[in-house]
Amino acid sequence: MIWEALKLSLLVVSFATVIICVVGLLFAYLLAKFDFRGKEFLDALLTMPLVLPPTVTGYYLIFLLGRRGLLGGYLYDLTGWSVVFTWQGAVIAAVVMALPLMIKASRASIESVNPDYEIASYTLGKSKLETFLRITLPLAKRGVLAGLILSFARALGEFGATLMIAGNIPGKTQTMPLAIYEAVASGDDHRAQALALVLTAISLLAVYFTNRISRSQVYG
Amino acid sequence: MIDVNIKKRLGGDSSSFLLDISFSVNGGITVLAGASGAGKTTTLRLIAGILTPDEGVIKVGSETYFDAARKVDLSIQKRRVGFVFQDYALFPHLTAEQNIAYGIKTNSKTATMEKAAEMLELFHIEHIRTRIPREMSGGEQQRVAVARALASDPAVLLLDEPLSAVDVETRSKLLDEIETAQAQTGIPFVYVTHNEAEAVRLGRQQVTLEKGRVVNLRLS
Repeated sequence: MIWEALKLSLLVVSFATVIICVVGLLFAYLLAKFDFRGKEFLDALLTMPLVLPPTVTGYYLIFLLGRRGLLGGYLYDLTGWSVVFTWQGAVIAAVVMALPLMIKASRASIESVNPDYEIASYTLGKSKLETFLRITLPLAKRGVLAGLILSFARALGEFGATLMIAGNIPGKTQTMPLAIYEAVASGDDHRAQALALVLTAISLLAVYFTNRISRSQVYG
Repeated sequence: MIDVNIKKRLGGDSSSFLLDISFSVNGGITVLAGASGAGKTTTLRLIAGILTPDEGVIKVGSETYFDAARKVDLSIQKRRVGFVFQDYALFPHLTAEQNIAYGIKTNSKTATMEKAAEMLELFHIEHIRTRIPREMSGGEQQRVAVARALASDPAVLLLDEPLSAVDVETRSKLLDEIETAQAQTGIPFVYVTHNEAEAVRLGRQQVTLEKGRVVNLRLS
């Protein structure tokens, strides 16, 4: 049972972390480098999951993606499938909840790169994308990696929004935090303890590596 | 031949600064002189395409970089300008060789490395090939910066007070090297300085700016 929850958690978190990396960098770059109408609003909107109760975020996810949801309705009509009560739903919950951490850390890091490096790259004929990949990202990598590890840890511990949209189905959507809740509720102390220890160990490692990266070599 | 005839208003309404300049110079080295705040760096950035003029024309050789009336505004990448920044803006995570190779446009890696080796030799910096900028002296960084800009085969090289961070002794040697590099490559250089001695030394052609206007134009 522990193994099952761990396996599912790792599956969900792996997908979530990859998505967070790509989407988070995209938003971080957008917010760091461009001025556009509604930027402050977009920034606030993306930060909301950090401050809202996770159940509220989960509620909005159902409102958006549920079988009769704003977007989910179309998907269900077209395919007969919905993310509600699936592990993919758990991935979406984890992404939405952890994304702000990735965006905040990467944005700050990208903004701290001296813009003259990017301009120098442009004068040497390189496109914005190539400049980002070869200059900005390597120079911002500390913040980006720290953000990614923190997001990973946050996604691993995600409970409230996951429960709302994916439910708590053992072997299907029951990730480790949900399994702990159920173990405690059903009086299975040993299982709760084992699960809590595994989660604590993984999170501790994540924080340890984040701190190590933060202290690693800085150029310039 | 470099033709510049542009207007650019900078800053807010109350503290605004109007750059309104017009000059036409031949190849070789052109010194852009004037006190700080005269608009020298702004002029370089306008030629490079880092800033956009409000109106006017910028031409280098037969190529029109900017023409407000004809709505021509080439991107930085397409302008083929080499830019040597005041603080060099060498990529801090790349070695001297990697910095120089970064902007070289060839079809093969071998050809790129050959060209990079050529530039290292031209500037007598083979011995710092594998060093990153942090491990170089001011003079070495300056040589790498000029070599990197020239390696991308620019139509014009813009130098923004490139010797302000090196000591007097090194300065004289570097001035020799800059003159030699210009003579060897035949690429026109525009050299910004507020240093009288440097201006006299290099300036067969000199454009002097004061408060955003050309106050003196001396052609060879």
